[in-house]
Amino acid sequence: MTTPKIIPARNWGQRAVALLLIIIVALLVSLVATSRHIIWSAIPQYIFDETILDGIKLTILFTVLSMVISIIAGAILAMMRLSPNPVLSAFASLYIWFFRGTPLLVQIIFWFNIQLFIPSIDIGSFHVDTNSIITAFIAALLALSLNEAAYMAEIIRGGLMAVDSGQHEAAKALGYTPGQAMLRIIFPQALRVIIPPIGNQTISMLKTTSLVSIVAAQDLLTRAQNIYARNFLIIELLIVASIWYLVMTTIASAIQFIVEQRLGKSTNQTPGFVTNALRLMRAEGRNG
Amino acid sequence: MSIPNISPAASPIVEAVDVHKSFGSLDVLKGINLAVSKGEVVCLLGPSGSGKSTFLRCINHLERMTRGRIFVDSRLIGYHERGDALYEMSSKDLAAQRRDIGMVFQRFNLFAHQDVLTNISQPPILNRGTPRAEALDRARELLKMVDLEGRGSAYPYQLSGGQQQRVAIARALAMNPKLMLFDEPTSALDPELVGEVLNVMRKLAADGMTMIVVTHELSFAREVADRIIFMDQGVVVEEGPARELLDNPRQQRTQAFLRRMH
Ligand SMILES: Nc1ncnc2c1ncn2[C@@H]1O[C@H](COP(=O)(O)OP(=O)(O)OP(=O)(O)O)[C@@H](O)[C@H]1O
Ligand SMILES: [Mg+2]
Repeated sequence: MTTPKIIPARNWGQRAVALLLIIIVALLVSLVATSRHIIWSAIPQYIFDETILDGIKLTILFTVLSMVISIIAGAILAMMRLSPNPVLSAFASLYIWFFRGTPLLVQIIFWFNIQLFIPSIDIGSFHVDTNSIITAFIAALLALSLNEAAYMAEIIRGGLMAVDSGQHEAAKALGYTPGQAMLRIIFPQALRVIIPPIGNQTISMLKTTSLVSIVAAQDLLTRAQNIYARNFLIIELLIVASIWYLVMTTIASAIQFIVEQRLGKSTNQTPGFVTNALRLMRAEGRNG
Repeated sequence: MSIPNISPAASPIVEAVDVHKSFGSLDVLKGINLAVSKGEVVCLLGPSGSGKSTFLRCINHLERMTRGRIFVDSRLIGYHERGDALYEMSSKDLAAQRRDIGMVFQRFNLFAHQDVLTNISQPPILNRGTPRAEALDRARELLKMVDLEGRGSAYPYQLSGGQQQRVAIARALAMNPKLMLFDEPTSALDPELVGEVLNVMRKLAADGMTMIVVTHELSFAREVADRIIFMDQGVVVEEGPARELLDNPRQQRTQAFLRRMH
């Protein structure tokens, strides 16, 4: 006996929409590709330009530094927010409210212009002009880090609260001090919840750093702007920058994917790479 | 209040004097007095909400009492007494005190990110300064004692409730406590797993461990407890030798409670 072939139902509606999409995308691509206003040869010419590559370095530096600083500051803010002390908790709430409630662009411009209301720092006979400390680099880094810390605080607080309260009780009953309980019991478990959103924030930070071009902080976009200010190849250099942003976010997404795969495998235990990192941190702490 | 069953020679290892606790306007403990001597097994019975857990948690200062004093091994728990005031201890001093008091929870509370061997050996390594090798040896020994030999590399989520609770008991014992507190250690278990946990507790009692056990397992209380305390609405209603209290309860509230339990 022959078994009849199975033919799945065809969804004509979906097919029609798909066809429409293909046509639209093809039209857009040909519009850009055949545009006589874009000098395509400029793109290979500038993609590995030294100025552009330096800009990439700075964009990565901004991303890494601001993520590290904001994770540390965010962890402190999260613990303050969860503290039974009303002053600590209110301060953290106020901080988060303020930095999430005002635009990052405004914060960047503010830090860059801080010398307007704090012209110099005088401690005893010590005197410096604020301008010489708060360079565009520092202003940009401060703004990115302090702003991101507010978001990190909420992410870390969520992670800490996701750990069952029984874990804390058991640690207390076994004679762990609050610091030890946090470091050995609560935090390692909170990491499972914290790491995925930190990945998202890092990817988004790679692009957010472009905002610091407003104070000419020499990131990738600033460099592209500097070049097109001279040769007017605006679209071409924006394409160059976009290609690099896409490369960076794609690599970051791939790293995130690998990390989350490893997180997913260990149902409840701290992933190995986290354990190793924590062990290293503790060893460092002991050595000095 | 009279304190029965204690020979005058043995000074009590736990002594609670007039312990009060309220949550806001809710008075949960209204003057508990209790003395437990070394090696004694005391079971705490009482209806839900009578304050059994709260009292147990006052003994290791997981709960801050409102009035009264608790001594463990003649040392005041949770406070330094100076003049006529009690000053709450620093968290460091509290941690040091809790190291001598083992506690087993209804929900096990094993550290979810650590394997069984780490669960048992880390507390003495960190909090007693026990050398790692020694702590691991002792952990394996304790695992054997709770019939889980060779399960050291398992993670809590890989174990049944009964196995987790036995690990939790081993973990508490690894600190060499002077006293073990159990808060309904079998209430979260499937009926067929209750026996294995009670067996371990029987062994402990036979080894001379001082134990205060909140439980609804009347047959365990009858068999293992030296003394039963019956609590209701924040007071000790009746106490006495296990069999006597279970077979001939004198107070009406005790009688009513025991009737409901059968
Ligand atoms: N943290 C808390 N805040 C407010 N009320 C509480 C708190 N903990 C316990 N209570 C209340 O105190 C009373 C006694 O609770 P406790 O847990 O000590 O009772 P229990 O005798 O252990 O009861 P069960 O058999 O249900 O465990 C209850 O009314 C409970 O709602
Ligand atoms: Mg209870």
